[in-house]
Amino acid sequence: MAYARGRIRASVDALEYLVGGLGTATLALGALLWAAIVAVTCLIRVGLPAAPGALRAVRRVADRERSRLSRWGEAIPTPGPVPAGLRTAARDPFVRRELGWVALYSLIGLVTGLVGLAMPLYAVQDITFPLWYRLIPADFGAPGIVWWRIDGLSEALAVGLLGVGWLAAAIWFSPALARLQAWPGRWLLPPPPGVDLSLRVAELAATRAAALDAHAVELRRIERSLHDGTQNRLVAVNVLLGAARRALHRNPDRADEILGQAQDAAEQALGELRTVVRGILPPVLDDRGLAGALAGLAGSCVVPCRLEVDVAVRCAASVEATAYFVVAEALTNVVRHSGASRVDVAVRREHGRLLVSIEDDGHGAADETRGSGLTGIRRRVEAYDGRMTLTSPPGGPTRMDVELPCGS
Amino acid sequence: MRIVIAEDDALLREGLALLLRAEDLDVVATAGTPGEFLVAVDEHAPDVAIVDVRMPPTHTDEGIVAAVEARRRRPGLAVLVLSAYVEQAFATHLFSVGAVGLGYLLKERVGRVEEFLAALHRVADGGSVIDPEVVAQLLARNRRTDTALSELSPREREVLGLMAEGLGNSAIAERLFVTDGAVHKHIRSIFSKLQLPPDDRADRRVTAVLRYLDGDRR
Repeated sequence: MAYARGRIRASVDALEYLVGGLGTATLALGALLWAAIVAVTCLIRVGLPAAPGALRAVRRVADRERSRLSRWGEAIPTPGPVPAGLRTAARDPFVRRELGWVALYSLIGLVTGLVGLAMPLYAVQDITFPLWYRLIPADFGAPGIVWWRIDGLSEALAVGLLGVGWLAAAIWFSPALARLQAWPGRWLLPPPPGVDLSLRVAELAATRAAALDAHAVELRRIERSLHDGTQNRLVAVNVLLGAARRALHRNPDRADEILGQAQDAAEQALGELRTVVRGILPPVLDDRGLAGALAGLAGSCVVPCRLEVDVAVRCAASVEATAYFVVAEALTNVVRHSGASRVDVAVRREHGRLLVSIEDDGHGAADETRGSGLTGIRRRVEAYDGRMTLTSPPGGPTRMDVELPCGS
Repeated sequence: MRIVIAEDDALLREGLALLLRAEDLDVVATAGTPGEFLVAVDEHAPDVAIVDVRMPPTHTDEGIVAAVEARRRRPGLAVLVLSAYVEQAFATHLFSVGAVGLGYLLKERVGRVEEFLAALHRVADGGSVIDPEVVAQLLARNRRTDTALSELSPREREVLGLMAEGLGNSAIAERLFVTDGAVHKHIRSIFSKLQLPPDDRADRRVTAVLRYLDGDRR
């Protein structure tokens, strides 16, 4: 059963493919005729000015076939515009192969496309034939077979059986036909060996540069959190220890107090280090995605938290990690400082930006300069060319809006 | 000695203030941003400013820029810059306006309280202090780029390095286990190799130190 379903699905796909191929094959036939006319007129030199145009027309049809084939299987890169000048163009390896392709494909593509389309049409026509054979005169014969006189239901049913045969043939042969139709393009349209590399290299270089950019941003962010957070904490520990040692001789009570402060600072350093490490990529993001991870945050928040996440497509891991960090820090602030009785978190994706808003009904007057997590949030958001706005009038409510670019 | 501290990290700022006050030094104001710092300098007329290199908003060299501006507004102000790491471009920018009453130290030195206080006093008295780490890096680099510096003997380079750290002749002699007279001889030789003639308008020691920091603009 599953096998049959798979077969049917494959043949429906193949049919769609064959019809698309019929389109490009028709265009190829047009381009071939045009190129042939130009070639013949070139013999008497009249056609020479039209030759580059003909080559460009062939290239356009070939590019169309390339993108069609790329949608169905391994991607075929496009070679770019036809070189200017007839001599250079004639030496271009792509142009030669495209001319071969256009000749081959206008025949094979057209025939396979027509056969592929005809089989299911015949199947429908013949299978339904017993329902409407009475409406046509018996002399007309069976559909497409004039010598087969249809005198009664039994012959009509036989035609219906023939339709079943067509259907079976369509299901059985369509995928093979589609492969046959794609063969000229798969053979002649990819860049010849050697030329391939330069195109690939250009493509890879572009994607790699983008990846490196994102990587650098992430490294800068980690460097900043280590420098401005953890390292400063440790420097403070060091300063306080120095002060404690000095105080030890003169005023031991004072020394104890300073040592207590040093310990607090060391604990803070540990806390910050934990935040940095978890902020690099919270494991929960990997397991449950942004919505799941945020639901976990909202669920464990002491202040009742309503969460709305409308993000259909996943963003880059670093962007999701930042959004997660922002919500986690903001909720911590709400619990610690706001005195709120509820908090609303909304995350949605719009025009290539991830929008995060956190609003509580607390007493407001949040102050970014007072060493809260707000500075950390702003820094992290800005490292991604994002924006963070905070409105927190005394008396509340407090609302934070964060925008992060997340590509298209 | 009236001191202003500019450090954006609240805990470190308070820690420094606590340390200095415990030493009976007069911390007149602390600031968390370059803007607050300049206001405090105008308002409290301090003798010394302790400034963190990385400050808001971009956390790159705002502290250096603010320190240079504070020195422009208040020419006698001594400035001790604290940095989490050695950044030669920042040090060079800082010392480009002269080295009198200027210091550049790594933050971790603060924990060695005696040395930190000594550096603070040296800067307040118009001396200059450059972190040994900075000196080592500059020395390694400038030896390749500055031909005058490359003519110095290893011992003379060592002496110049200690001068850059702000040590006086007898302190240098102590450090190198030689007599004061020997140090004096080395220093004279350094001045002549760097072509610094006796001139009462400029402190030759400072000029020699600046020679280190000048490498990249030559």
